[in-house]
Amino acid sequence: MTNLDAELSPPEPPRLLVFWHRYKRNRAALFGLAIFAIVVLMALTAGIVDPGDPLRRAGAPLTPPFVDMATPLGTDQLGRDVMSGIFYGARISLLIGVVATLVAIAIGVVIGALSGYFGGWVDDVLMRITEAFQTIPNFVLLLTLVAILGSKIEWITLAIGIVSWTAPARMVRAEFMSLRSREFVDAARNLGVSNTSIIFREILPNALPPIVVYASVIMALSILLESALAFLALGDPNYASWGNMIGQGRAVLRSAPYCAVIPGIAIVLTVLSFSLLGEGLNDALNPRQKKQ
Amino acid sequence: MKKTPPILDIKGLRIALPKGADRSFALEGLDLTIEPGEIVCLVGESGSGKSLCAGAIMGLLPVPHVHIAGGGIRFMGEELVGKSESEMRQIRGQSISMIFQEPMTALNPQKTVGWQIDEVLRLHTNMNRAERRARAVEMLERVHIPDPESAYNAYPHQISGGQRQRVMIAMSLALSPKLIIADEPTTALDVTTQLQILKLIRELQEEDGAGVLFITHDFGVVAEIADKVAVLCQGVMVEQGPADQVLNHPRHPYTQALIGAVPALTPPPVKPVLNSPVVLKGTGLKKTFAARGGLLSGKRKAVVAVKDLTFQLHEGETLGVVGESGSGKTTVSRIVTRLLECDSGKVELDGKDLLACTPRELRAMRSHIQMVFQDPMASLNPRKRVVDLIAQGPIVHGADPAKARDDARRLLELVELSPAAANRFPHEFSGGQRQRIGIARALALEPKVIVADEPVSALDVSVQAQVLRLLADLRDRLNLSLLFVTHDLRVAAQLCDRIIVMQKGEIVESGITAEVFANPQHPYTQNLLSSIPGRDWTPPSFRTDAA
Repeated sequence: MTNLDAELSPPEPPRLLVFWHRYKRNRAALFGLAIFAIVVLMALTAGIVDPGDPLRRAGAPLTPPFVDMATPLGTDQLGRDVMSGIFYGARISLLIGVVATLVAIAIGVVIGALSGYFGGWVDDVLMRITEAFQTIPNFVLLLTLVAILGSKIEWITLAIGIVSWTAPARMVRAEFMSLRSREFVDAARNLGVSNTSIIFREILPNALPPIVVYASVIMALSILLESALAFLALGDPNYASWGNMIGQGRAVLRSAPYCAVIPGIAIVLTVLSFSLLGEGLNDALNPRQKKQ
Repeated sequence: MKKTPPILDIKGLRIALPKGADRSFALEGLDLTIEPGEIVCLVGESGSGKSLCAGAIMGLLPVPHVHIAGGGIRFMGEELVGKSESEMRQIRGQSISMIFQEPMTALNPQKTVGWQIDEVLRLHTNMNRAERRARAVEMLERVHIPDPESAYNAYPHQISGGQRQRVMIAMSLALSPKLIIADEPTTALDVTTQLQILKLIRELQEEDGAGVLFITHDFGVVAEIADKVAVLCQGVMVEQGPADQVLNHPRHPYTQALIGAVPALTPPPVKPVLNSPVVLKGTGLKKTFAARGGLLSGKRKAVVAVKDLTFQLHEGETLGVVGESGSGKTTVSRIVTRLLECDSGKVELDGKDLLACTPRELRAMRSHIQMVFQDPMASLNPRKRVVDLIAQGPIVHGADPAKARDDARRLLELVELSPAAANRFPHEFSGGQRQRIGIARALALEPKVIVADEPVSALDVSVQAQVLRLLADLRDRLNLSLLFVTHDLRVAAQLCDRIIVMQKGEIVESGITAEVFANPQHPYTQNLLSSIPGRDWTPPSFRTDAA
C-alpha cells in the first residue's frame, strides 16, 4: 500500500549525542564543566598528592606560597599545608554538595509531587509546612539544626539538605500541576496504572529537566552554606574544608592573606562552575526556551 | 474603461527556510493575483507554507531565519519586497489588515474592546476622540455585535468567541483596507458561529470592495466563500482556478486527493446493530462543575456540564456524540471512562456498574473500556518508547512484559505502522502516525468498548481520512463498539451508525445517523446541519486511491 502517512522519518541520533551537541554550544558551560572536572580530579587525587593527614604540621608556620617546594601554596599559622587542604577540601565540598543536594531534591520531589498531583487538602497541608520552612531564614535554621545535632560532617550535610528542599518542592509542585492535566496522564490512568506509578514513572521523568538544572544551584548553595558554617567555626574540625581554612585564615588576614584568599578562590570557582553547569544543562534540556 | 490593477499581484515568490529545515524553500515560485472584490482561498495542509505567505505580504517574516529569496509582491501596483520597516508599518493596518485564527490571543486581555479599536484609529488617522469613538461603535455595529455601546466597554473575556472574532474583523476593517488577509479565521469556532462569520466576511467585503486572501485547510469553508482557489502542496502551488472548477473538477492529483479526503455527508448503510447485546449503558448521568471562587476572585456560578444523560451502546456499533463546544460531550467521554467522577447516575459495562467500583475493581475494569484521545501529541508520554507505550496496559494488567512487547509490535502492523517504529519516541512521528499509536495502545488491552474523544480533529484532512478509514476497518474486523465524540458532523456522518446530538449538557436528539441527517427534528440539530460549511457541495469522488 502506498501510504504516505505510514512512512517513517529517518531515525534520530541517540539522545546523549543530541544533548552533548546542545550543551557544547554554550561556551561558558564548557568552561564550567572544565572547572568542575578539575575539582573532581582534585578530590580524587588528594590522596596521591599528599598521602598524609592534611591537618598535620607540614612545614614552618606561615610560609608564603612558592617559597618552599614541599608546601607550594604555603602553610597556615599552624604549619598546615594549604595546597593539601585545598585538595582534601574539594572532597568535603563535593561530598556535601552532592549529598545535601540529593537529600534536598529527594524531600522536595516527594513533597512537591504529592501536593502537585493530589491537590486539595494534601496540597494545603504540605504547602503550609513548606511555607513554615520558607519563612525561617535558611541560615538561621541551619545554625539551629547544627546546634541541636552537633557539628559532625554527616549532620551538617543532612541539615543543609533539610534547609534547602523548599524551593525544589515548589518547583516540582508547579511542574506536576501542569503535567497532571495533560492527556498522557489520563491515558495512563485509563490503562489502570496506579497512582504511585503515574507519579514516578509517568510524570516525574517529564518534570525532571528543570529539577536537574535547579540541582546545580542547590549544589552551589550547599557548598556556600557549609563554608559559611565553617567560617563561623561551626564546621566539622576533623576535616579540612575550604570554609574552615578561610575561618582560620581570618585571624592572619593582614599578615598572610593567602591563607584565606586561596580557599576563597577555590570556593568562588567551584560555585561558579556549578552555576555555569546549570546554565548549560538548561540550554541542553530546554532547547525551546532559548533559541537565539 | 481603464482596467484597475489587481490589488495583490504575487510573482514567483520564494521564501527561504533556515538550514536544517525539512525543505530549503517554504514557498517556491508562488504566483497569485487578487482582483478588487475577490475572495481568494489559499488551501493547503499544515506545513504547506500558507501562513508564511501571509507573513511575507505583511512583512512579518521572522527574518533573518526565514526570508524572501526571490520574486515580487506588488500591492496596488507598488512593490512591497524591500520596503523598510517603517514604510511597511504604514501599509499594515492602513491598507492591508489581517484577521488571526485565535481571537483570544490576538486581543489584549487587559484593554477594553473599544480601546483596542480606538488604538488602530489613533495610530493611523487624524480623527479626534469623539470621531474615533463614533467610528468604533459604527464598526461594532457593522459586524453585528448586539448592543455595540456596551460591547465597546467590554473586555475580551467578557464576550463570546464568535463575538471576539467579530471584534477582530471590526478592527481590521476600521480603516477600510484594500486587502484583508484572513488566516484560518474560523478554525477555532463552532460550526454555527463559523457560518455567521463567513457570511459576515463576505458581506463586508462586498460593501467595501476589498480583496480577501483567505487561508484555510477546510474545503467546506472554501466551498462556502471562495471566488478563486489556489492549492499549495509543500510550498508549491499545484493548482489555481475559479472555485467551481477546482472544487468540482480538480485536475492535479494532489487536489483530487485532498478533495477526495473530505468526508462526504452521506451516512453509512444502516447496520442491524440494534439487535446485538448492549455493552455500555449510561443511565441518568449528571455532572456539575462546582463553583470555585476565593475571597478576591468573586463567586462564579456552578456549571452544569451534563444533566441527566442516558444512552446505550450496542456491540459492534458506533455511537456518535456530537455537539458544539460547551455542550458537555467531552465530559461524557471522561465520565464513561471514569477519568472524571460523576455526580450521579450509572455506567454499566457488561452489566457491571463502573461508577460503583472500588479503586481496585476499577483498575481491573479499565481493561474493558479504552480511550483514544484528541491530541496525539499530548496523550503519549514524550519520554517513553512507542513499544513501551503500547505494551504498558497489558503489563499493568499482569501480562508477561516480553510477550506484551511482541504483541505491541504486531499491533503496530495492524495500525499500518512499520515495526521499526517500536523503538522510537513519540515526537519522531507525524500527527497521523501518533494517532495510530494511540489507537494501537487502546487496542492492546482488547477492550470491549473504545471511547474516542475527537480523535481526528487535530489532523489534516488527508490524514484524517486515513485514520477514519483505519478506525472503521478495525471496528469491522475486530467487532469493536465505539463511542465517538466529535464536533465535526462530516466525520460523524462517515463513521457513526447512530448519533446523539447534545446541547448544553442535554440530549436534544438521537437516532440512526442517516435518519437524523435526512430529517432532523430538533431546531438545534437543524441549525447545526444547515451550518456545515459547504453543505451544498458534494465532494466529487475519485477512484485514485491516493488517500
